[in-house]
Amino acid sequence: MPEHAAELGYDGPVIGPEQDFSSVSTTLSDLVLERPTPRWWYIGAGISGAGFVLFVIACLWTFVGGVGVWGVNIPVAWGFALANYVWWIGIASGGTFISSLFYLIGSDWRNGVNRTAETMTLFAAAAAGMMPILHLGRQGLFYWLFPYSTVMGIWPQFLSPLLWDFFALLCYVLTSIVFWYIGLIPDCATLRDRATKRWQQVFYGILALGWRGSARDWHSYKATYLIMAGIMAPMVVSVHSIVGLDFAAGLIAGWHSTQWPPYFFIGALYSGWAVVLALMIPLRRFYSLERIVTERHLDVIAKLMLATGLMLAYCYLLEAMEPFYTGDKAKITEYLGSAFGHYGATFWARNTLNIFVPQLLWLPLIRRNKIALELISIGIVAGMWIERYNFVVSALAQDYIPSKWGWFGGTFWDWAILVGSAGMAMFGFFAFIRLLPVVSMFEIREIIHKRRGASR
Amino acid sequence: MTAIFSRRANLFVQIGLALLVLGAVCFLLLIWGVPLMNYNDQVSFTPRQPVPFSHKHHVSGLGIDCRYCHDSVEYASNAGMPPTETCMTCHSQVWTNAAILQPVRQSLAEHKPLRWRAVYTLPDYVFFDHSIHIAKGVGCTECHGPIGDMPLTYKATTLYMSWCLACHRNPAPHLRPRNAVFDPHWHRTAATPSGQQLMALYHIHPQTLTDCSVCHR
Amino acid sequence: MSDDPDRSRGGRRGSIFWRRIEELADSPDLLERARREFPSFAALAEGSVDRRRFLQLTAASMALMGLTACGLEVAPRDRQPYVEQPAGIVPGRWRYFATATALQGYGTGVLVKHEMGRPLKIEGNPDHPASLGATSAIGQASILELYNPFRADTLTREEAIAPWSAFTTAVSERRQRLLASRGRGLALLTGTVTSPTLLAQIGELRRDYPQLDWYQWEAIDREPARAGARLVYGRPVDLLPDFGRADVILAVESDFLESAPGHLRFARDFASRRRAVEVKARMSRLYALESTPTLAGAKADHRLALTPVAIEAAMRRLAGMLGAGPADWSHGADPQAKALDAIAADLRRAQGRALVHVGAAQTATVHALAAAINHALGAYGQTLSLIEPVAPPPQAGAALSDLTDAIAHGSVDTLIILADNPVYAAPADLEFARALRTVPFSVYLGEYADETAEAVHWHVPRAHEYEAWSDVRAFDGTISIQQPQMLPRGERHSAHELLALLSGQISADGRAIVREHWQTRAQEAAIPDFDSYWMEALRIGIVRDTAARPIEVQPRADLARSLEPAGGAAVRADELTALFRPDIYLWDGRFADNGWLQEMGRPFTRLTWDNAVLLSPRTARRLGLDTADRVEVELGGRRVQAPVWVLPGQADDCVTLPLGYGRRRTGPVGEGVGFNAFELRTRAMLWQGQGAVLRKLDGRYELAVIQHEGRTLGRDLVREGTLAEFLKNPEFLHYGPAAESLYPRYPYPGIAWGMSINLDACIGCHACVTACQAENNSPVVGKTEVWRNREMHWLRIDRYYEGPLENPALVFQPVPCMQCENAPCEVVCPVHATVHDSQGVNVMVYNRCVGTRFCSNNCPYKVRRFNFFDYTASDPRPRESWNPEVTVRARGVMEKCTYCVQRTRIAMIAADRDDRRIRDGEVVTACQQACPTEAIVFGDQNDPQSAVARRKASPLDYAMLGELNTRPRTTYEALIRNPNPALGDEEEGGHA
Repeated sequence: MPEHAAELGYDGPVIGPEQDFSSVSTTLSDLVLERPTPRWWYIGAGISGAGFVLFVIACLWTFVGGVGVWGVNIPVAWGFALANYVWWIGIASGGTFISSLFYLIGSDWRNGVNRTAETMTLFAAAAAGMMPILHLGRQGLFYWLFPYSTVMGIWPQFLSPLLWDFFALLCYVLTSIVFWYIGLIPDCATLRDRATKRWQQVFYGILALGWRGSARDWHSYKATYLIMAGIMAPMVVSVHSIVGLDFAAGLIAGWHSTQWPPYFFIGALYSGWAVVLALMIPLRRFYSLERIVTERHLDVIAKLMLATGLMLAYCYLLEAMEPFYTGDKAKITEYLGSAFGHYGATFWARNTLNIFVPQLLWLPLIRRNKIALELISIGIVAGMWIERYNFVVSALAQDYIPSKWGWFGGTFWDWAILVGSAGMAMFGFFAFIRLLPVVSMFEIREIIHKRRGASR
Repeated sequence: MTAIFSRRANLFVQIGLALLVLGAVCFLLLIWGVPLMNYNDQVSFTPRQPVPFSHKHHVSGLGIDCRYCHDSVEYASNAGMPPTETCMTCHSQVWTNAAILQPVRQSLAEHKPLRWRAVYTLPDYVFFDHSIHIAKGVGCTECHGPIGDMPLTYKATTLYMSWCLACHRNPAPHLRPRNAVFDPHWHRTAATPSGQQLMALYHIHPQTLTDCSVCHR
Repeated sequence: MSDDPDRSRGGRRGSIFWRRIEELADSPDLLERARREFPSFAALAEGSVDRRRFLQLTAASMALMGLTACGLEVAPRDRQPYVEQPAGIVPGRWRYFATATALQGYGTGVLVKHEMGRPLKIEGNPDHPASLGATSAIGQASILELYNPFRADTLTREEAIAPWSAFTTAVSERRQRLLASRGRGLALLTGTVTSPTLLAQIGELRRDYPQLDWYQWEAIDREPARAGARLVYGRPVDLLPDFGRADVILAVESDFLESAPGHLRFARDFASRRRAVEVKARMSRLYALESTPTLAGAKADHRLALTPVAIEAAMRRLAGMLGAGPADWSHGADPQAKALDAIAADLRRAQGRALVHVGAAQTATVHALAAAINHALGAYGQTLSLIEPVAPPPQAGAALSDLTDAIAHGSVDTLIILADNPVYAAPADLEFARALRTVPFSVYLGEYADETAEAVHWHVPRAHEYEAWSDVRAFDGTISIQQPQMLPRGERHSAHELLALLSGQISADGRAIVREHWQTRAQEAAIPDFDSYWMEALRIGIVRDTAARPIEVQPRADLARSLEPAGGAAVRADELTALFRPDIYLWDGRFADNGWLQEMGRPFTRLTWDNAVLLSPRTARRLGLDTADRVEVELGGRRVQAPVWVLPGQADDCVTLPLGYGRRRTGPVGEGVGFNAFELRTRAMLWQGQGAVLRKLDGRYELAVIQHEGRTLGRDLVREGTLAEFLKNPEFLHYGPAAESLYPRYPYPGIAWGMSINLDACIGCHACVTACQAENNSPVVGKTEVWRNREMHWLRIDRYYEGPLENPALVFQPVPCMQCENAPCEVVCPVHATVHDSQGVNVMVYNRCVGTRFCSNNCPYKVRRFNFFDYTASDPRPRESWNPEVTVRARGVMEKCTYCVQRTRIAMIAADRDDRRIRDGEVVTACQQACPTEAIVFGDQNDPQSAVARRKASPLDYAMLGELNTRPRTTYEALIRNPNPALGDEEEGGHA
């Protein structure tokens, strides 16, 4: 519909003007109900599924062989696992932040992407949740962090950041599941009603929890969702700050600093945006949702990404300034080591991918080039992992006592865990886009409703 | 269009939700409650011994002192199990051909040690020292229960860490005068000095008793 | 599983310890691990379970997962009391037995710690002159040697297991033939022998077989010293230096701190004059001339790295200046002239209180020059005395070469080898193995089925020192009776028993032989009550009044002339001087199968599980070589391939070839570790030889080092200064922020354990590290794991270089857990697995640890160690050899130094039992006990009278990284050097 195309575009509306209630519902619900599974889905799901299997194998091998199968050592007792953890939890936070905060401030473009964001959050959080348990020396005893007394007569130590972490993560995973599910209920109802096959009716019927779409339903639904959003937004901040505290509370030269909580949080948002973009661009293309997830969306997120990138750059500058400001020999050596030493490559890779390259987003030309946008986002996702890796490892490798300096290198199993966890998350995501609407139908309908109100 | 779900569907859902909650509660109970329910605390565990040795008979009946057999209890970490020859000091004279004592005589004849089944076993990372407990006025029966009245020896206490700590955190109620340590039937009387007095007497400082290194090395 | 080597052996040859998990995969051990990990899978693995049962099992194990803390992991065991209780044995009580260990023939007294009849730990014997309560790293590791499951215990004939009777018959029929021929063709090859009993037995043999030829050979012998003595006195004598009385010492590549007989005693005496706070101005000064770094050189105030040729020249110059030789020796250009003149002046100033000590590796000429200088300095009777040689020196024609000649002439038809592994360690040009194979009847008494065992007819497994009766003399002549600590396993026998067999006593047992010998001696000495005499000797570990008396011998008048320069051939530029030196731990290779010694970081290179050719930085640069490059070393037409190690402090143009590696046949631990430098070592160049050529090969060699960064990078880790500064202002090293805290300090009303380590005294010998490993059940992890920075030593000795890398000053700094009062590790542990006890010790609760490893990350001193794999399970040592007082750690738990909590706790219980305060010195940590120089002091720092409290009151006391406000309980006494002002600032700390 070319005449419509004109109205759309980067500063155009967040939805094609020709769209109405039924068209939206049809397009989106047909994706799951009617349309046959496309080939690209099989390919994607196949690849990520393989990754998932690899993850399972790697985990089993780690349990049987012990964490010794990884490259971790003394002094570098934390390696990939912790980098993965921080990275995944960051990605998750970004997703939640989009859907909750922008819901609270009522920006309507968010309705086009929040479902994807939340889903991504869900699986990212799942991947993140695995890491702290995997990296334990005696994984079977992870539940000792849980405050239950039993017969030992002693409790966990509440001073330890790891314990705060344990709780933060637990709450976060649980609430984001609930948040995501609540957001799904009305759509499940829609699907139930439009479903023709019996199993679909039952499946979505159960998920819909008997949703009738009555005013009462909507009333209580709105209230609940608002409250949840209100809980989620600050929780995201706290969760990732606590992850930052894991390191800030550490004594060693490279970690002992108050700047990590904001530093980590900004990084989290950054990777969040990037992943949403990286997922959204192909998705709207393959599912031809250009009229619902419009270029406007991409543009907004790209701009957000640029802004966050600048904040992160500021953090990097702070990080660079601090050692010299304190004048602490160990801090300085550690920082210079991380920049020009054994791990220098990762340091510059992170700067390039997270700071330098994204500056291209100043140019509308780039922002509007989906390929470029996709590549940049993927670059940022990778860059964020490298940042975490450099942060965790190089600080440990060069601590106060030079005689105990030592390097770390990932083994096959380290990589298997990283790649595998990504496989797991992606597989989950693929399963989701096949079974549930990738864009929240009722929230899109809301936009249309508002628009009508405006035009009337 | 026909209703997808029958009338009772709601009921099922509600039951399902209820079960979910119940399941969660049960799980918590499993890891939290069950141990406290003394599940598998092995109390009253009474292994089969090569000889059905009766503390009741030897201690309460004949009035033999604990230290006669467990001779290193006062000065070593290990209370000491009596060598066969200790049994034979008497049993070369009395019950010389009782059938149940056959293993003892055999042990002496073939110079093969008796294989007693351990009733109290601690993990390898726990280092218990009998002598210091004896020295500080902790009676045998505090841990070994009414040992003097056991026809067959059984495990009288849980040996849970919390059980150890209960006493290490508050020793007073478990102390007795030194002369009563080996008395299997001792009990507090008006005359006995209070736990507090005994603690002062024995120089026991509970705040130091819960150091991890007291038991774990 | 630990008793079967192949189980835990990672497939590849060499180390049987952890390699990498991939290798593990194809070992049956994996199943074992899986079984331990998931009990429910075990039955399944046996295939004895159907699916249903498997599900039940899994379900059960999952359900019980939450109950692991309820004693489920405790399997009830059997209790087996004695039938008759042996006197003195009390379960859980230590007992000590005195004996001695011998190296290069000289004895060192030890006490062996027993529990329930099991020897478990070696301590020094305070009554023994060569020990004074200290032990060496090798001495500590000897207990592992005793338990080594790979020591031979079956008699073999041409490598086939044979019954003992077969051997006895073979020997007795040989004996008939030999008796007939009055012993013609009978040859005996021993090492250095000091054992009176053995000497007597050899005498007996001589009576039976007048024509017996007795050859003596040690791979690392002290022949140059003997030859030097002969040059000077015309007869063999032994030197007894007294480092406690010397003000100025010149150490010429001296081994007096590491391997000379009596080195523990020497170290103690030396240190007694080096602890600045105690001796103040009386601190002695040490000069060192050496080609390759020695511990003495590391402690020297001035150290010159010179080639052997330059060393001899330098000694001549000194002799000339000090009137020990023609004055014209002191003229002539010498690049070191300035330094040498200063040294000479200093020595002269210390007339009568000076001492020159020369290492075994130097030439006879240097030894002679040193003797002359000592005479000129009036050292005799003051800092040096002469005694009759403790070990009877071999007569002329009794060298190994004479034996090979005799074999070549076919005049040897029966050869008894008591020496240790000649086939491996004999000079390469002797082709000893080939010669040996031609001997019609050869017997070898050796601990391992090694290279020699493979070349003889009969290999008789040798009983370990702790398995057999014998006696041995110390460096000063003192005799110790060696008593067995356990019965020998299998067919192991002692040298005494073998010789007795030769002289016709078919079933002679060692005890009888040694005891009879002493009985006769007692009769000669008219000792009334032999039994009490004997028992006392066994109890205290020495035979009283057996130390040698000083003798008066005058040097030859024409000494100087005999020492005229030989004028050797000029050295070609591209040729290097090869230096053959024993490895400080493996010695001549006899300890190659000892995991503790293999994994102990070498003091200078910090290398483990390998040897490398050592080059000075400048020489390496010239040859375009770098550390870990592979080279081919050619010397006298012989070649070996080896990795390179660039070692600051090494003399230029010298390449050191550490001996003792590259064992082809020994236990699985030592096989194929490193390269065998003996292949280049010939009679002509036993210690050093000209003309070594290095050719670079492509590829690099993986070396496992336990310290990568050798500099302090200007950090305030090691505080040091000079004696002059110290005397001016004792507080001069007190600086840095007085770490203040907003929080109140923890009170420690009762005992407060503390430790002080004196950096002046530490000589970097690693006895403490080995002792710690022995006491605390630290596993050996193997080369790959060390290479991955996963070694498990709780105590490490950091080695730092200061100044120019060409000839730096060295610092040794022992670093155990600092036991911080504000411990960073404790706050980050989520499960309270590491916490403080009320003595202020930072305890580690292995069974509570879940393995987050945050504690190690957060430890600024990086003294925590982690069980990445199940190291203890894969350690081949038998279970009964672990210390029962210390938990054996499982996989996935953190561990660290605990101030030997088992020792403190046992002592506290003992004190508490009889209601007394614990006495100072009642608790001694393993490291402290082993230390030859008393560098480590431990005790209750709340008790102002305690040794540790007094040490910590020292003006030199400082806390490492104190600015972090960790409040470490382990503090250091700063390092004080005593440089010669005359040598100026550019000499500061001893760089030439």
